[in-house]
Amino acid sequence: MEIKDLSDNTGEWLRGTGKESDIVISSRIRLARNITGYPFLSRANLKQRKEVESLLRKTIIEHNIARDVSYVNLNQATAVDKLFLVERHLISKEHAEGEGERGVAFGKSETVSLMINEEDHLRIQVIRSGFELKNTWNTIDEIDNILGENLNFAFSSRFGFLTACPTNVGTGMRVSVMLHLPALGMTKHIEKVFNAVGKLGLVVRGLYGEGTKVSGDLYQISNQFALGKSEKEILSIIESVIPRITSYERMARKALVMESKDQLEDRIWRSYGMLKAARMITSEEILQLLSQVRMGVNLGLIEDIEIQTLNELFVLTLPAHLQKLQGCELDSAQRNVIRASYVRKRLEGL
Amino acid sequence: MKCESCNKKLATVHLTEIIENEKKERHFCEDCAQNVTNHFPKAPSPSDILTSLINQVSPEIREMSKATCPVCGLSYLEFRSQGRLGCPMDYIVFKKGLLPLIERMHGSSQHVGKVPANAGAEIVKKNELIQLRKELNEAVERENYEKAAELRDKIYELSGNVEDGD
Repeated sequence: MEIKDLSDNTGEWLRGTGKESDIVISSRIRLARNITGYPFLSRANLKQRKEVESLLRKTIIEHNIARDVSYVNLNQATAVDKLFLVERHLISKEHAEGEGERGVAFGKSETVSLMINEEDHLRIQVIRSGFELKNTWNTIDEIDNILGENLNFAFSSRFGFLTACPTNVGTGMRVSVMLHLPALGMTKHIEKVFNAVGKLGLVVRGLYGEGTKVSGDLYQISNQFALGKSEKEILSIIESVIPRITSYERMARKALVMESKDQLEDRIWRSYGMLKAARMITSEEILQLLSQVRMGVNLGLIEDIEIQTLNELFVLTLPAHLQKLQGCELDSAQRNVIRASYVRKRLEGL
Repeated sequence: MKCESCNKKLATVHLTEIIENEKKERHFCEDCAQNVTNHFPKAPSPSDILTSLINQVSPEIREMSKATCPVCGLSYLEFRSQGRLGCPMDYIVFKKGLLPLIERMHGSSQHVGKVPANAGAEIVKKNELIQLRKELNEAVERENYEKAAELRDKIYELSGNVEDGD
């Protein structure tokens, strides 16, 4: 499959299905693994890097790890293609910006992705729509078992799975739940969530992970610790926290409706109007507009647009997606025009 | 120049914003600048936390400063400055320096989770014992003695066949 074939659809995790999908966009789990007998990547020479890449690629393809697997060699991919894969959450920013022999294998539905030679030899990722940690864990556990039977993962019974960075050692697991929290953001109660979540050893991050800015009221909640608790225990901590945050967000929405209904509705309808009428929209602005409209749909104010469409627009209007769609490189002013016209087309077609 | 936000006080803080390759100069007074920069809470990344933790555990450093891994050639000092290990062996070679770091980072230094699918029966059993002991402690803490007795029996049963200790 070619990357351009992907550009006008999106992965299944944006379908807006699953539990609590009005607030929970996606549930994601990743596992970090390394192969014994090879140094970690910062110490690997070209030959070792190449060997690890080819061993992992062949094992993944041979065992049909995901349905209709595609493999992209990132060492040969263009800058736009790499950014495109980051925007789709198929690879990390670090993986895109890395050097040398490395790649990504992913299934057709884009639920499963396997990053080869990222920070560790292998990063397995499974992402699903809505609050679906159990299914997500079952899928990734099974993939990890198949690969673990066919590869020798670096492991010690004291420290667990050995990783290049000691922050990941142990289970090698990071669970991230992406939440849409516009009302908590508007009422400034989001700070309280940050504090409460921090006490449980969890962290809040922006849309694209480590060190990224919060935009479009989208937040990722993930575990900080990976050692000393089993995978099930880590999952159950997050499993118990998320419903508290979503009900908090629902309360904040109710309060907004009760206390400032006119302002809230005005803001939502203005945002919808802008999306349908604007001729230029920056990537920053569109996140805010989509966020408002998404809340409008959740509150039952706007009825002629699907959550799936809005979820997809968060990704389809990102810079690399617009360039893929247009088939050429665009500067930021050109992108703003194309972005606005693309959104109008999607919303008018309803 | 006046502050672009309140338009009253003198602008003393000058920010350069780069959004989509476009540079934008912004000028604020001290008070407004605080609001603007607080607007984007930035959680510390795991690597920031790691660096700050590495800097906190200095007593071990002196002892470890000469240690170098015979397998990958990484020195402990290089690990300190880069925050990344060079090979699985480093966890043994730098154990003394890593232990306090890992303890602070994860609140524990004993793995209790999954074991690789092809790990030997001994390792599987060993980790199962570790998990059971942890559950036993928790059961005792919660004064759930029935559960504790059940776990104790399981531990006896398992440990009869396996060499104990780490």
